[in-house]
Formats: sequence, structure tokens, C-alpha cells
Amino acid sequence: MPQDHHIPDPKRFNVSRATLWFDRFMGWLIRCGGVAVILAVFGIFYFVGKEVVPLFRTAEVGPAGEIGAETASAVLGVDEWGGLPFIYDGGERVVFVGVEGGTRRVIEVPGLAGLKVTAYAFDAVHSRVSLGLEDGRVGSFLVGYERKYGSDGKSMVEPSVTLEPWFTLENGSGPVTAVSYGDSGAGRVIAVRRGEGAAASVSVLRLGMKRGLVGKGKLSLLEELDVTSELGAVPLLLRASQNGEMVLVACADGGVVYFLADSDGVSKRQTFRPFDSVPPQQMNFLFGGVSVILTAEDGRQEQWSLFRTDQAGERLFGATKAFPNLGEGKVIFAASQRNRTFLTGAGRELSIRHSTSGEVRWQGTLDLDPVTAVLDAKGEHFIVAAADGEARRYSIHDPHPEAGWRAFFGKVWYEGGSGPVYQWQSTGGSDDFEQKLSLIPLIFGSLKGTAYALLFSIPIALLAAVFSAAFLPLKIKRVVKPVMEIMSSLPSVVLGFLAGLWLAPVLETRVPSVMMMTLLVPLAALGIGYVWCRLPIGFRNRFAIGSEWMIVVPILVLAGWIGWSLGPVIESFLFVYKDLATGKEIADFRLWWPQTFGISFEQRNSLVLGFMMGFAVIPVIFTIAEDALSNVPKSLTAASAALGANRWQVVWTVMLPVAASGIFSALMIGFGRAVGETMIMVMATGNTPITEWNIFNGMRTLSANIAVELPEAPVGSTHYRTLFLGAVVLFAMTFVMNTIAEVLRQHLRDRNKIV
Amino acid sequence: MQSGSPKTKTPFATTGRSRKGEPWIWLTAAGLALGVAMALGLFLLILFKGAASFWPGRIDLMEVSIDGKTELIAGYVTQETERRDGARKVHEEIQVFRGNKDLNGEAFKYIDRANILKSTRPESILLVERLEFGPAIVNGVAVETPQGRIEVGKHGFSDALKTMLQQGADSRVRLLKIERKKIGAISRELEALGRAKRSQSVASNIAADRRKVLQRDFDRLQAEAAEIRAETAKSKFVGVAADGREIVVQSGSLLGFFESNRAGFFGRVGEMRHRIWKFLKDDPREANTEGGVFPAIFGTVIMTLVMSLFVTPFGVIAAIYLREYASQGLFVRIVRICVNNLAGVPSIVFGVFGLAFFVYFVGGYVDQTLFSDKLPTPTYGTPGIFWASLTLALLTLPVVIVATEEALSAVPRGVREAALACGASKWQAIQRIVLPASLPGILTGVILAMARGAGEVAPLMLVGVVKLAPSLPIDDIAPYIHPERKFMHLGFHIYDLGFQSPDAEAAKPIVYATALLLIVVVVTLNLTAILIRNRLKKRFAVSSF
Repeated sequence: MPQDHHIPDPKRFNVSRATLWFDRFMGWLIRCGGVAVILAVFGIFYFVGKEVVPLFRTAEVGPAGEIGAETASAVLGVDEWGGLPFIYDGGERVVFVGVEGGTRRVIEVPGLAGLKVTAYAFDAVHSRVSLGLEDGRVGSFLVGYERKYGSDGKSMVEPSVTLEPWFTLENGSGPVTAVSYGDSGAGRVIAVRRGEGAAASVSVLRLGMKRGLVGKGKLSLLEELDVTSELGAVPLLLRASQNGEMVLVACADGGVVYFLADSDGVSKRQTFRPFDSVPPQQMNFLFGGVSVILTAEDGRQEQWSLFRTDQAGERLFGATKAFPNLGEGKVIFAASQRNRTFLTGAGRELSIRHSTSGEVRWQGTLDLDPVTAVLDAKGEHFIVAAADGEARRYSIHDPHPEAGWRAFFGKVWYEGGSGPVYQWQSTGGSDDFEQKLSLIPLIFGSLKGTAYALLFSIPIALLAAVFSAAFLPLKIKRVVKPVMEIMSSLPSVVLGFLAGLWLAPVLETRVPSVMMMTLLVPLAALGIGYVWCRLPIGFRNRFAIGSEWMIVVPILVLAGWIGWSLGPVIESFLFVYKDLATGKEIADFRLWWPQTFGISFEQRNSLVLGFMMGFAVIPVIFTIAEDALSNVPKSLTAASAALGANRWQVVWTVMLPVAASGIFSALMIGFGRAVGETMIMVMATGNTPITEWNIFNGMRTLSANIAVELPEAPVGSTHYRTLFLGAVVLFAMTFVMNTIAEVLRQHLRDRNKIV
Repeated sequence: MQSGSPKTKTPFATTGRSRKGEPWIWLTAAGLALGVAMALGLFLLILFKGAASFWPGRIDLMEVSIDGKTELIAGYVTQETERRDGARKVHEEIQVFRGNKDLNGEAFKYIDRANILKSTRPESILLVERLEFGPAIVNGVAVETPQGRIEVGKHGFSDALKTMLQQGADSRVRLLKIERKKIGAISRELEALGRAKRSQSVASNIAADRRKVLQRDFDRLQAEAAEIRAETAKSKFVGVAADGREIVVQSGSLLGFFESNRAGFFGRVGEMRHRIWKFLKDDPREANTEGGVFPAIFGTVIMTLVMSLFVTPFGVIAAIYLREYASQGLFVRIVRICVNNLAGVPSIVFGVFGLAFFVYFVGGYVDQTLFSDKLPTPTYGTPGIFWASLTLALLTLPVVIVATEEALSAVPRGVREAALACGASKWQAIQRIVLPASLPGILTGVILAMARGAGEVAPLMLVGVVKLAPSLPIDDIAPYIHPERKFMHLGFHIYDLGFQSPDAEAAKPIVYATALLLIVVVVTLNLTAILIRNRLKKRFAVSSF
């Protein structure tokens, strides 16, 4: 209370202290509450955004232990938990060294004593070391880890080594110089090279597992095939895919020969030259066994994947991605066993790369010269070892390797695809499924759904708004506006259900009827207007101005009915499907459409969606546009009428231009409503993420995608966060549109005030 | 004749001579007519379909030739469709609900009209409602009770049937009491005992003793329930389906009868009323395709009420702040844009936010501090009705803020100034003068928010709605109010039944009925709000000075 304290107040003007305090308290409370609510509103940005941010972080790598194995390292493997790596150097023993505590354990490979190993290779997926002997035998041993719990409750990892059967090679001569082992569980493939240089020969062995009634079954040789003659040059590198389905042989002339091993045997399929005449130095399959990463001696690195170039064709290798070049030095490589990440490098420069997005997740320099590296099964650590047996463990923190700008918004060449595409497919049947996380098809779907909804809604809503604002008597307007308002509050789940279960089956067979109706109804309205104004004025004056809509109703019903029944007639003339097999002609639009345009026809399509979305969008646009038109100052319309404009001229030349920004903002808000609509989209679109504008098929929208997939997505996973990213995109789209609309509306309000 | 006179309320009149643009005016008229027709048409469609789902149809007994054999099928026609076969020939088909899912597997059958040889409506056919397998359509044969068998048509048949219905209803009530309440209480105590044992707050020998007592009670109750079941199995209703196979319904699962073909118009109206009542008060059965939607109604109402409990004070405070306290500058302008904007943010985004913030962030924190003994099973860290209500409160906040602001600004400046001039403090003026005057406007906003909240489904799918909740969020088990529980919702019920149900055809009547119910709720709320608003306008039109 602004009181002067020097002059004492008369008693009756005194305000009680309690009242003052309470006033101050309430003022404070309301300010706090108000600011809190506004903060809460902005909290939405923060908490949704917070979930998205980790997607755009690169991998973090840090040192996590050193190991001295005191043995020459050649093969390096590790257990699932990254704590007990082993080193094998082609001798009789395997050395296990614990990273924590440095415990060292040596296990003799049983049955290897006295044999001379001349070739060995490691397959991290099965934790298998394949061996080739001087006398032409090949075999392997498996390294197993078991987690045991001691009496003190502490867990320890217990390693074991088991030898698998030997197989003697028939073909070729000399010691085995390279070996690679593939295992599909039921059958196995071994690629073997004997001899060196020009005398080298390559054989592929196919093994089968004979299933016994009891026990594991017996491994037996099915076939040994000498493929040397099919190579065309000196073989340098061999690689059997971990799943045992194929063998790749890289030759000195730069060619890589692809052999397919299936139940029919081993056969050559393709020779490709990834680096022209430069032979690859490293050749490694990625997780899933469909892609191979090839590294040339000059450091170039490419990914080649199996795909079909045409539908009937065979799956062959093609270059799908090129990665940044590696530097000088010995190339090392280790593939992840849970996703399409791989660790690669030359010399001391190491990087973690991801095959799907083609991005480098991490890059760093080591302080030792690695000769071999391995990633643990969980992808939490990698270990590199130098030639002298010194090794380092590093921890990797990269929860979202699949993410990245390119994965979400760019075209990506996925495995098995014949070219780069935008695709959304977040879950698949198998473990080695490659997530396809492009948001583009979803954004497209949202825009497509919105476009068809607006295509239907805007004309009706704007026409209705113009009539209501300019011509409708106040009495009726008082009824029409609430009707529209109630229409806007119809639960969208009801609309979606009607669209999917009632309208879609009805319209499926009646597309030509719908076409006729959309043509006839407006024509009828225009026609009656044309006729009406030529009727004698005496007759016309019997109807109140603004009652046109009542007169028009029966005409529209008639036009609609004619259109509806004319549909099948039109169909039998225009939309005749010709059965290619029998030559029979059938009048059916559902068959005619795909045959003529080569695009599909589905029951739940954009036509149905557009119509039902009308119920949600028309009232929004109508209400705002009507307000804008009604608020055009009377002085303007009256002036133009006084100057002799007829009633349409007043609308066309004065009301519409003045209210244009308001109408535009109505369209924006209508867009916002349509783009975020969820239940209708879920129920009426079929939810297939396709990217074509065809009106007779559906789409998958951002909103529907979130509603369908988020309840099933594991919290914190890439999928989960990507769905949040979808929400952010949706939020951003509507926020921009709504802000533009709001600013326009305020602008309009100010301008009308001036007038 | 009235037109053309200067009295017309449109801003300008036609000159009567100019034809220019006249067709366009008619086009705009068509637009309006179309818009209104769409709205009304939709209401009528839902009203018709919803009401039809309760209306008892006449049962046809049809002789149908199927693959050369003649079959007798009894049922009521639910749909008439056209189908084109491989040769593109058009067949007029009817979809018949023939019930008897236990015999036929499928309750619906499509019959080609051309194949119907004969169709009659015998008065003796009964529509039997039962607990399992959906309704049965049979001819009554006999009632078997421990006292003996009474054939249909014999003296005392209908009385015996009535007694049996009553007995069945009684035994169901008793079973419910035993199985859900008493056995439920025992298993809850066992659970608590297990938790206490793990946290070692109870000595193991005491726990073991208590466990023994509980186990004995449990066995006794089980025996009691089995006895009631055996009792109900003794009396049964025997009927015979149209194809001659027998259907036996035990009294325990017998819910009611209706003689569809014998009942007159008022009998059918009575049955319809009965069905509506059961729809409103019963629990769902048979994967939600039978029975009622009571839990969904309850869930919707509770969620909406809790939502309005939160949204009203916060919305009103924010509006008072914006209108009465904050200085009107750029900041308030921006905030107002944001609030208006928020009304346009897709509802699913609110759901996503609710999941991240309320469920995982706040809920996870609550679990760690208050319910750590139950972890890793989440109590509040999982979707539930409380989080759903809060999410929807946020969603509807702009509605309340905008409506309240409008109402506040509609209070004439003079009233406010008069209050201040009389010596009221700012808050006193607001509390005693401004708020009461704008109360109807605030109420309108709250009702509109409730209507919006009641009809919203998409965010709920993320924050707590389920297709079948085993228990209500408020019941007679301490602490009586369970804000962490998942709940059922009318809107989600529609989505789930229409699109996720294994037997979508059988669910259709319930879906239409639920849609009608939801629409009635939402439209009623909206109409109330509109009426209040109109009255308010009139009041201020008088009181402004």
C-alpha cells in the first residue's frame, strides 16, 4: 500500500498486518507457481532432449590395465568379460593372463605335444584357434571360459582348452601355410593353403556333423576340393566366414575369389577386385557374416557385402562403403561379436569404426606397436598386444554405435540391399540383424499423411469458414460453431477405429464412387449457384440471405448419391483389369490400379486416412480461420459494400486479403494438429514405412511409430533413444509451425486494432 | 420473404442484380453444409452402431446347403456384405452370429444368400448367456437339479430355471469373496513375509510358524471353493443346438436367458436396457470380447479426476500470474506464445516426456528412496495411473491457462479498480472479486480439459494403460488407493479390441458400444462447458459498466 508514513493514518484506514502478510505471501506463491509452471513447460524440452543427446556422442576409450605375457604373441583371444585374455604363439601351450591381479596360467593343448604347427588363425565368434600342421593335417582347438563362484561368493573365470579332431589333406603337398575355419553349428568349412608362392595350393574342406542319438555327434569329412585351378593367381589370404557359408581367397593379382559352400558342395561364384591390382592385406568378415572389410596394402579400406542386384539374381559381393584410409604399418583388425563395430588400425594409429553408418567412432594413438587385437564379446574392452607379448587393455564406452547423423537422416547402404536407401526397421528376427534407423521414411510418412489430410480438410474448412463469417445468420452461427468445436474434441481413437474398421472396408470397393462424388459435389454446388442467380428475384427473395446452405443440402445429397451409384458404372468403363493369364477382363479398380501404375493398392490407405483426419483437422482450421474472417473490421467491409461491391466481391477483395495472415496461421495450426495426430495414424494407415506418394497405400508416421514401438523398446537402448529423437523431430516441426502461426495471429490482431 | 429487408444480420446484402461470384458463394455454402454434415453424420453413425450393438436381434433358423450337404444353422444376422469370388462373380453374403463357440470354434459364419434353402424364426429358440465361450443359441431341453430332471414344457421348468440362475449368481459371489479377497489376502501376507525374511526383520522360526498357519488357511479356503464348485456343477441346464448337438451349462456359469423370437417390442427394449446396464457394470470376459467395461470406465474417471485435481490449481495460478502479476512485456508475450504453442504439441510427445520424466526419472527416484526393499521389481518406476494423470495434466495445462486468462481478462477493469479503491489488497481483490467473477470461465476451461483428457489415448499407451488390469486403482485392500497401478481406459479399450484382439469380429459390438460411451462422455462434458460459457457471456454482457 503506497502510504505516506509521516502522516499518521486514521484508524479506519489501517490495514491489518495479517492481511498485508497474506497478500505478500499469496503474491509470492503465485509468482512462484506461475514461474514453476512455465519452467515445467520448458522442462519438456530438457527431458526429452536429454534422452537424445547420448546418441550423438562418439565412443570413449580409456586404458584399463596392462599385461605382460612374456611370450611372443601371435593370437590373442579374450573371455566374454574382458578379464582373462589368452595368447597363443603356435606352440603347445596357451597362456592366460589375468588383467586384474596379473595371474598367469599356462594350459597345454592336449594332444598337441610333438606336433609342429605351421599355420594358425583365430575366430573370436567361436573362440576357436584353427591349426595347420607341417604334415598336412588341419584341426583346431576351442578355448572355453566358465564363470565359477567360489565359497566366498567371489566369481572367477576358469579357462579350458579342448582339441577338435584332425583331418588329413589329400591334395597338395608341403606344410600348411594358412588356415581358416568356419562353423555353422551343423556343418563346417575349412580353407587351407599348402606350400608357398607359385607352388601354393588351396583346398576347401567341408565337414558334417553326424547326429548321434546320444551325445554331440561325430564330425566327419564330407568333401575335400582343390580350388587352386580356379584362382588364376598366387593365393595370399584365406578367409572362411564364421558361419561356414563361404570362403574368400585373395590372390596376388588383386582379385578376391568367392566360393559358396552349401549343402550341394563348394562352388566358385565370383571374382572381384576391390583395389584393382593391389592385393588386400587384410580381409575380415563382420558380425553376421554378410559383409567383409578389405584393407589394401596402401591403407585403403572398403566394405563389400553380399546382395542381389536384381530380384531373381544370385547374391554376389559388391562394394558398399569406403572408409577413411589407414596409415602406414601393419594392419590389425578385430570385429565385434554383437554389432557391426570393428577395431582397425595401422601401426600405432587405431580407430573404432561402424559399418552401418560408415562412421569413425573413435580414433587414437597407442604407445606400443600392436600386432594383434581382440574385442571382448560384450564390446566393453579391447586388448592389443605387441610382438613381445606386452599387451594393453582399453575400455570402450560406446552404447550407441549404430547412431549418428548419417544413420538417422542420410541414405545408408545396408547389408543385403542393392543400393543406399532410407529405411526404418528397428527390430528383426535374429541376433545379427542390422538395425535400420533412418527417420526419413517416418518423417515422409508424417508429411504424406498430413498432406492428404490437409488436401481434404483445407477446402472444406476454408469454404465453411468464409460462408460462416460472411453470410451465415448469427442465430445459426451460434449453433454451428459449437458443433465444430465438439467435432474437434472427438476422441481420435474413435475416428481411427471408424477409419480402420468401418470406412476402409466400405471404401475399398468403392473408389470410383468416391472419385465421382468428389467431382460431382462441388460441381453441383457451383451449378446451383449459377442457376440460382438467374432465377427471378421475386423467387429468390423468399429465402433469407444466408440460408443457401440449407437449400444446398438436398442438392448435395442428390449429387453425392448420383456419384456413389455412378461409381460402378464408371468402373466398368474405365477401370478394367485384364488378367494376363486368362485374358479375362474384370472391372475392378483394386486390380486396375496396380496393373496400370505398378504401385500397390491397400485397404487402409491415404484416402481413408485423409477423410477421417478431416474430422480432426477441419474444426481446427475452421475455428481459427472463421475468427480471423469475422474479426475483419466492419468499417472495411461496409465501405467496400458502399462503394458498390457485391457480396462476393466484398469477400474476395476485402475480407480474404485482410484476414490472409489469420487464415495462413489457421493452416499452420491445422498442419500441426495433423502431423502430430497419433491414433488415427496408428489405426488407419497400415503402418508400413514406405516412401511413395501413392494415395492408395499407407505410411508409417513418426507419431504412430513412437506409440507402437516405445512400449517395447528397452530403456536406454539405441532404439529407445531414436524414438525419442523422433519425438524431438515431431516436437520441432509442430513448434516451428505453431510459433509462426502465433506470431502471425498477434500481428494480425495488432493490425486490426490500428484499422 | 424476410430477406432483402434491412433487418438482416449479415454485414451486407445482395444487390439482387449482380451475379458475379454468386456460384462461389454457393460453393462456400456447400463447404459449410459438408462440414456440419460430417460432424452430425459421425455422431449419428456411432449412435446407431452403438445402440444396435445392444439391440437384441431376431434369431433365424436357416437350412443352408454347404458343399452339397444341408446344415441347420441358428443365429442372428450381423452384417450383409458382397463378396467376389475367384471368377469375379458377386455373391450376396450374410454374416451370422451363431454363438456356440465351444462346438463350432468360430462364433461367426458367412453364408451365401443363394445357399439358404429355408429360413424360419421358431419362438422356442433361446439365447443363453454364460461365463465361458460366449453366448449359446439353443433350444431348451431340460433342467437338471439334485432334485431331479425337469423337461422343457413340463410344469415347474421356468421356476427351476429361475432358481438355478439365482443359485448360480449366489455361488459366483461367494467364490469371488473366497478367491479374490481371502486367498488374495493370504498371498499378500506370504509375499510380505518373504520380503521380511530376506531383509531379516523377522526371525525365521516365527516366519515358518506363520507360514504354516497361512498354508492351512489357504488349503481350507481352497477346499471351500472346490465345494462350492461341486455344488454348482450339480445343477445344469441342458440345451440342444440347431445341428442337434447338446450343450450343457452348469449353474455356476449360467448368466441369463433371452427368448429373442418370443419377446415383443417392449420385451426387447427391456433386454436392451438390461444389456446396457450389464455393459456398464460388469467386468470384461473372454479376452474383453464379452461382458462389460466397468474397469475401463472406472479407470477413465479416476484418471480424469486426478488429472483435473492437478491441472486446475496449476493452470489457474499460472494464468493469474500471467494476467495479474507479471509485468506485460516481451517476456510475458513470449511465454504466452509458448503456452499457446504447447496446446499444439502432439499428444504423443507428452507421452514420451511422461515416460522419461515421471516414470523413469521421478518414479525411479521414488523407488530407490521409499521402496528399495522391493527392487528390482519397480513400484513407481513403471507406468501407472498416477503418472498417466500427471502426463495428461501437463497436456491439458494450456487449455486451462488459456481459458482462465480469457475469463480473467473478461472481468471488467472497473470492478477490479473499485475493489482496490475500497481498500482491498491485491490478493483480496483477486480472491473476492476477480476469481468469483471468472469462476464460470475457469470451470469451462477445466471441463474442456477433462473432455480432452478423457478422450486422449496415445500418451496413455506409454505411461500406464493396459488391456486388462487385474485390480482397480482404488479398492478395499489397504492402503485403498493405489496410484502406482496400471489401469484400463475406454479409449485404449477401443484400440485394443478393434486392432489387437484375436477375434476382432466378435469384439465389434463392444467396440461400437465403448465408442458410443466415450463419445457421450466427451460430448456431454463439452456441451456443459459450452453452456456455462454462453451463460457467462450473457452475465458479463449485463454486468459490464
